[in-house]
Amino acid sequence: MLRSARAVVLLGLYGLFSLLVLLIVGSISKAFQASVNQQVAAQANPAAIEQAYAQARLGLLGFLFSGDVAILEALKEIPLVVVIVFKVTLVFLPAYVALIGFDQLSGELSQHSIRYLVVRGKRSSILFGKFVAQALLLLSLVLLVDLGIFLYAKATNEDFTWLAMGKSLLRFWLAAILFSLAYLSLTSLCSVLFRNPALSLVVNLAALFAFWLLDVIGRAESLRLLRFFSPSQYAANLLHPRLSEFAISTAGYAGFAVLFLGASYLVIRSRDV
Amino acid sequence: MDHALELREVVKRFGPNIAVNRVSLTVERGQCYGLIGPNGAGKTTTFSLMCGYLFPNQGEIRILGVTPQQQGALKQKVGVLPQDAILPPWSKVGFLLHYWATLQGLENPERCAREALDLVGLAETWNTAAQALSHGMAKRVSMAQALMGDPPVVLLDEPTSGLDPRIAAQIRQLIRDLKGKQTIVVSSHNLQELEELCDAAAILDRGTLVQSGSMSDLTSIGAEFRVQIASGSVPLAELKALRGCTGASLEPSGILTVSFDRSLVAPEEIITCVVALLAAREVLILSVSRGRKLEERVLQLT
Repeated sequence: MLRSARAVVLLGLYGLFSLLVLLIVGSISKAFQASVNQQVAAQANPAAIEQAYAQARLGLLGFLFSGDVAILEALKEIPLVVVIVFKVTLVFLPAYVALIGFDQLSGELSQHSIRYLVVRGKRSSILFGKFVAQALLLLSLVLLVDLGIFLYAKATNEDFTWLAMGKSLLRFWLAAILFSLAYLSLTSLCSVLFRNPALSLVVNLAALFAFWLLDVIGRAESLRLLRFFSPSQYAANLLHPRLSEFAISTAGYAGFAVLFLGASYLVIRSRDV
Repeated sequence: MDHALELREVVKRFGPNIAVNRVSLTVERGQCYGLIGPNGAGKTTTFSLMCGYLFPNQGEIRILGVTPQQQGALKQKVGVLPQDAILPPWSKVGFLLHYWATLQGLENPERCAREALDLVGLAETWNTAAQALSHGMAKRVSMAQALMGDPPVVLLDEPTSGLDPRIAAQIRQLIRDLKGKQTIVVSSHNLQELEELCDAAAILDRGTLVQSGSMSDLTSIGAEFRVQIASGSVPLAELKALRGCTGASLEPSGILTVSFDRSLVAPEEIITCVVALLAAREVLILSVSRGRKLEERVLQLT
């Protein structure tokens, strides 16, 4: 069951954080653009300045997306602020997912209220029902926040057409769905493993930290393989224009989701409630 | 086989501790069955095993032919009043009952939910949030969900604990009304209540079944009676010599206990003979009662 008051609070939290990132990135981006415009007006060779600006944008995007030319090309129509906010939100989205769902089952287990359910239905139905409910809540909240960011980008960028905005919004939202469902599965697993909701949250956050650590350690050439065990390894290509790269990323996230949900299923069908 | 519920050699361990040790018992259809024992006897664990909340380490449990631990097996077969399950605090009572009735697959969930709530006398709480209910009211709402849809087996864990005497009496009456129509298993500390309600019971102690059987067997109602003596000298030797009498003893508190063999003498016959003999010896009597209190039996066994 979804608790509407909690959904509103979480939307507020997510919205506020996104807004904060948007304001910071937006103001930096605006100041940068103003400076470029100023230099263009003052200089005899504005084309060179504009080229320098494009280079700078490309450099930033390259840093965010590992310099993949195809992605950079695909993102050229999208305002820089949207791309940066999206990348930043991907960093905190897993923690947000943990906050949404840490007590989805541990809360019921700790209060024994799950006992009202297990005599009425299959344990797997309880698990998947809660997962779907949490997923719908999460996807709605992410859509709302993404929509806000894109509308801001539309309002501040005349070149950003409604068609481009619609296409990009759908693409970014789909990427967020794939990304967050894997983390929601991890949250389900932590929640079904522990009767204490606080412990479930702590272990969930510890697992996120472990994945981040794997990603960092995996940057060393000799330990490269380790990165493939971290979901964030597959994040960049979720926006890739080529189907093969996008499919590999999707398969990566789907694999993690199936792994965590499968483990949750095995735990709930055999644990005492 | 017409058992409503059967446990065979069931063992449940929590780490190194054995909570339930090779417990076997059967509950017949339509019976009201009590689970009795002191704290830590394994009553709630046995109860939780019956409900499918816990998985046994060993042994077999069957309720109406199905294993409770099998997913969804108890749906529409069993109604459960868990002892310590908290109602989701933010939800309204009507919403919860309606939701559970829907999950249960009842044909008209709202009607079933309203009827069950009415049965426990809380129809007016339909729109009340669970967190606003008193302990007694929450217990009755929990009772309502157990009775929704008239499941053939109803498992009740401490149904009257924490209730005021008037409400407790109402709940007991509710259970009495179910007797014969549904199989009921009641786990309780209140032995007087169990003695009054149950047809049969199992006495547990430290995870082991120490005795089970019909209530009359447990209380020796068919083979023993007690006489409260007010004054006079009790002729024990003469009493023992009566036909069918297998023993007579007098406690310092003035309770005369007479046991007899039912195959040799009818209870009313030997009770009359004993009372007549005592009257003839000018012994004054305060009361006569058949069997012994369940409480005494439990204290003797545990």
